[in-house]
Amino acid sequence: MDEFQLSEETAFVVDDITTIIKDVSICTTIGSSAYQQNRINQWTSSVVETSLSQLSKLGKPFKYIVTCIILQKNGAGLHTASSCFWDNTMDRSCMVRWENKTTYCIVCVFGLAV
Amino acid sequence: HPFVFLSCQTAFVVDEVSTIIKESVEGAIGGNAYQHSRVNQWTTNVVEQSLSQLSKLGKPFKYIVTCVIMQKNGAGLQTASSCFWDNTTDGSCTVRWENKSMYCIVSVFGLAI
Repeated sequence: MDEFQLSEETAFVVDDITTIIKDVSICTTIGSSAYQQNRINQWTSSVVETSLSQLSKLGKPFKYIVTCIILQKNGAGLHTASSCFWDNTMDRSCMVRWENKTTYCIVCVFGLAV
Repeated sequence: HPFVFLSCQTAFVVDEVSTIIKESVEGAIGGNAYQHSRVNQWTTNVVEQSLSQLSKLGKPFKYIVTCVIMQKNGAGLQTASSCFWDNTTDGSCTVRWENKSMYCIVSVFGLAI
């Protein structure tokens, strides 16, 4: 029982992190705003910084990398991929795809155990 | 000086990583026009080839490689990343590549073990 609790506290919980990214970072930064060229620089910075701030508050023994892509909806094709050379037993990642009428936002979080 | 030598052997050297990435991208998509049916394979090839070459460096790092391929048709794109890591040992580098029909953006993050 003790061992299970320790595992929860030090694990990378995908659902929790997905919720943090969607509700806290993306929705509060972009929300229902339309795509604007002169604002996306600030949006991407804000999404990654807010996400990282929330993740570090979880107080878990992880290094984190957060990447964010914001793409205007106009029919362009986009494809992303990632590959990791890490510790398969402890390290995890999660990806969140979000959109509104004019914008796609893709956020990836990688958690590497220390 | 032995200390400097050891440091080069175990450091994240941006130029070295950047060269590896450029070669991986050129090898995977150089000379090709954007094709929806092939882009899945291309992004996979870029990240796998990059990771393979990085691990061959034999340095004490975990690596994350991400690749974005986007068709050139006027859409606006912005990417950003932020890292919570060890500032003294960890590093990253981003390579932007393009041809007439597409952009390719590859990021490598190296985290010291």
